[in-house]
Amino acid sequence: MSYKILEKKEIAMRNIWYRIHAPHVAKKVQPGQFVIVRAFKNGERIPLTPVMWDRDEGWIVLITFIRGRTTMRMASELKEGDELLNVAGPLGNPAEMEKFGKVLAIGAYTGIVEVYPIARAWQELGNDVTTLHVTFEPMVVLKDELEEAVGRHVLETVPIDPNLDFPTNMKNVTKRLTEKVRELLEKEEYDMVFMVGPAGDQRAVFNVVKEFGIPMKSDLHPIMVDGTGMCGACRVTVGGEVKFACIDGPEFDAYQVNWDELIARSGYYTDMEQRAMQEYMKALQGGEQ
Amino acid sequence: MARPKLIKERVPTPERPVEERIKSFVEVNLGYDFASAVKEAERCIQCPPEYAPCIKGCPVHINIPGFLKALRENADNPDEAVKNALRVIWNDNTLPAVTGRVCPQEEQCEAPCVMGKVGDPINIGKLERFVADYAREKGIDEELLGEFIAETDGKGKVAVVGAGPAGLTCALELAKMGYKVTIFEALHEAGGVLMYGIPEFRLPKDILKTELDKLEKLGVEVKTNYIVGKTVTVEELLQEYDAAFISTGAGTPKLLNIPGILLDRIYSANEFLTRVNLMKAYKFPEYDTPIAVGKKVIVIGAGNTAMDAARSALRLGAEVTIAYRRGREDMTARIEEIAHAEEEGVKFEFFLTPVEFIGDENGKVKAVKFMKMRPLEERDSRGKRKIEPTGEYVTLEADTVIIAIGLEPNKILVEASGFETNPDGTLVVDENLMTSIPGVFAGGDAIRGEATVILAMGDGKKAAKAIDEYIRSRRANA
Ligand SMILES: Cc1cc2nc3c(=O)[nH]c(=O)nc-3n(C[C@H](O)[C@H](O)[C@H](O)COP(=O)(O)OP(=O)(O)OC[C@H]3O[C@@H](n4cnc5c(N)ncnc54)[C@H](O)[C@@H]3O)c2cc1C
Ligand SMILES: Cc1cc2nc3c(=O)[nH]c(=O)nc-3n(C[C@H](O)[C@H](O)[C@H](O)COP(=O)(O)OP(=O)(O)OC[C@H]3O[C@@H](n4cnc5c(N)ncnc54)[C@H](O)[C@@H]3O)c2cc1C
Ligand code: SF4
Ligand code: FES
Repeated sequence: MSYKILEKKEIAMRNIWYRIHAPHVAKKVQPGQFVIVRAFKNGERIPLTPVMWDRDEGWIVLITFIRGRTTMRMASELKEGDELLNVAGPLGNPAEMEKFGKVLAIGAYTGIVEVYPIARAWQELGNDVTTLHVTFEPMVVLKDELEEAVGRHVLETVPIDPNLDFPTNMKNVTKRLTEKVRELLEKEEYDMVFMVGPAGDQRAVFNVVKEFGIPMKSDLHPIMVDGTGMCGACRVTVGGEVKFACIDGPEFDAYQVNWDELIARSGYYTDMEQRAMQEYMKALQGGEQ
Repeated sequence: MARPKLIKERVPTPERPVEERIKSFVEVNLGYDFASAVKEAERCIQCPPEYAPCIKGCPVHINIPGFLKALRENADNPDEAVKNALRVIWNDNTLPAVTGRVCPQEEQCEAPCVMGKVGDPINIGKLERFVADYAREKGIDEELLGEFIAETDGKGKVAVVGAGPAGLTCALELAKMGYKVTIFEALHEAGGVLMYGIPEFRLPKDILKTELDKLEKLGVEVKTNYIVGKTVTVEELLQEYDAAFISTGAGTPKLLNIPGILLDRIYSANEFLTRVNLMKAYKFPEYDTPIAVGKKVIVIGAGNTAMDAARSALRLGAEVTIAYRRGREDMTARIEEIAHAEEEGVKFEFFLTPVEFIGDENGKVKAVKFMKMRPLEERDSRGKRKIEPTGEYVTLEADTVIIAIGLEPNKILVEASGFETNPDGTLVVDENLMTSIPGVFAGGDAIRGEATVILAMGDGKKAAKAIDEYIRSRRANA
């Protein structure tokens, strides 16, 4: 099987669009499911989400945010016509497809790309879906697609202040996110809230939603290795029980999630991730000279 | 006639010295060379095959005296000797380089060996390994493979789910009979536990890979990245294939249901070993997958998985303690590997059951609290002494914990396909290894729970026969 890159383009700052030949996934994938990709021989396995697909033509679209070494390597080393080594999937459970009524579907940063297939399917099913995308100004993606797919698409951008460090800039996004969610929930009555984004932002939004007593679902992103339930790297506590996000999720009831624990677990490899990234950047610079 | 002189002692196999091997993942045991292999084979008194207890002790019934005889008959022509020996082995076992390394021979073929009554049993495992290794290095296995390639026209098509030892064996046996076989494997490499679980220092991956190359040469197709139950269902497979064999193993780790299980630096052995073996995290950052091991590692459990995790952690530079709730004689790991672990400096603590993981202010584990246990005279169904809590506690420091208390069958496939299962999650099968779905057979850890490589291979072989009969009788009645 070859997983050829049929198309590759930068659709926003640090956001790369890949259209990949993967008929086995395209044939079966449902909104809410993900794939595990390994792009290089000495590479790691990372979870990504099919954003769009064509079952007949056998392709899926992946959109990656350049976050660390692997997504960076993919962006800089892979060209149209190249092949990914492995695309395994679809994995995880499909999102629940029901008539919830009026739904607010939130995507922080590149999280919106995972919201897209789900929000679109919910709208098609007869739900009244509002999508909310909060991100940095140069990182807007899928605006036209969402405007077309759902009842209403709300875009909130935050400028990147070059005088502030990145963590502080990110705090501004979190702030705008919670403000905007509060504003929307105060103005209108929603039956359900759904969110994809960093665990810290999810907790912040959940704390607002909780005040309104509205049901909320979250797509959780713990670290994954195999994605098939074989290792437990992706374990999270939900409703007091240990669950594996790759086989029991990735979607969970936000009211049942132990957020503090999840946030602590997402930072486990930070040092090593930075080291991998630095080594890679060094190699890149060395290569240019 | 003069009685042959019995040589009581084994010809030893050299091993890498401890100081050297704990610094790398290179294989520990170096195996025999031809001269010493022949010397060891000559110790066998050649019990008649219909009686030889070693053959009965081997779950796939390799003609052991037969291959030992082949080795010594051509003592002046090593290539010929090995070729003949390998032919005998391959009749019953197509993965000898693997089984020669990882089987618990002391409980199987070597346990009843007649020579064991007067001295050391014949070193059957190491001889099997020698034959496979020599053949591979000299390209003899390539030559021999030709003899096993069968006509595949119109016999039928079989889908095998899972590329561990059970699935590989079933596929190879069916291919030798002339079936067209496709293996569906969830991970990006075939091999199952052989690839992601058992470390390089016991089973080098390039050796495993050449064993896997046989699949292709015998015409077996391997589709990796296919998760049956998600990518394709069993129902769909049955529309295209005449029969299916489920060998998805028991890959889901059991975790301890005690406080602190989600602290940082607590791994399941499966995650730890997958990162190390499959993803080569020990070569980070040359390889992209990270692994974080501190200075003081506690491994909980005392099976093969625990030994492998402990010895891997040691090679990543940690000080390692194995904590087990029973006693020394109750450990389930292979004797050879327990001995290796001890030589390499792994410490053992017995009669300790973990009750809590204690974390620091950053959410990282810093200690494990154990309850001390005490052995009773009474024994359980497996013949192990029962234990009871003493009410006394002890706390051991650790900056990394690896849990190796066992594995259960993966539920993806079962849930998606509606198989009948036992309470422990294993698949229900009849005496022909057929599951509750007609035409779908199963074997290995998927029906046994965590067991051994050779039992999985035995199931694969038995299922191949049953599948052949099933397809023939269906065609005869059609
Ligand atoms: C179900 C699921 C779906 C996802 N879908 C997308 C998507 O469509 N687009 C996208 O850009 N990102 C997605 N992610 C996040 C994506 O997997 C990470 O951004 C990616 O692994 C980062 O790899 P890196 O080497 O570039 O970064 P690094 O930060 O260096 O990551 C190194 C390691 O951390 C793990 N890791 C780090 N962050 C995450 C995270 N948030 N989630 C899971 N593993 C992580 C990686 O698996 C890897 O082992 C998804 C995550 C999950 C769990
Ligand atoms: C660390 C460790 C060390 C061990 N050491 C020894 C030893 O020294 N000696 C010994 O005899 N035994 C040992 N064992 C036990 C032995 O490895 C197993 O009994 C044996 O591998 C079982 O073989 P299997 O084919 O049934 O399953 P596995 O080897 O588990 O293979 C199952 C395969 O199926 C795949 N799979 C699972 N679900 C799906 C799905 N839905 N779709 C597609 N593919 C799927 C998996 O990815 C895997 O590749 C050890 C086990 C472990 C974990
Ligand atoms: S039981 Fe021992 S001595 Fe007898 S044939 Fe087998 S290996 Fe040789
Ligand atoms: S990623 Fe390994 S169990 Fe979920």
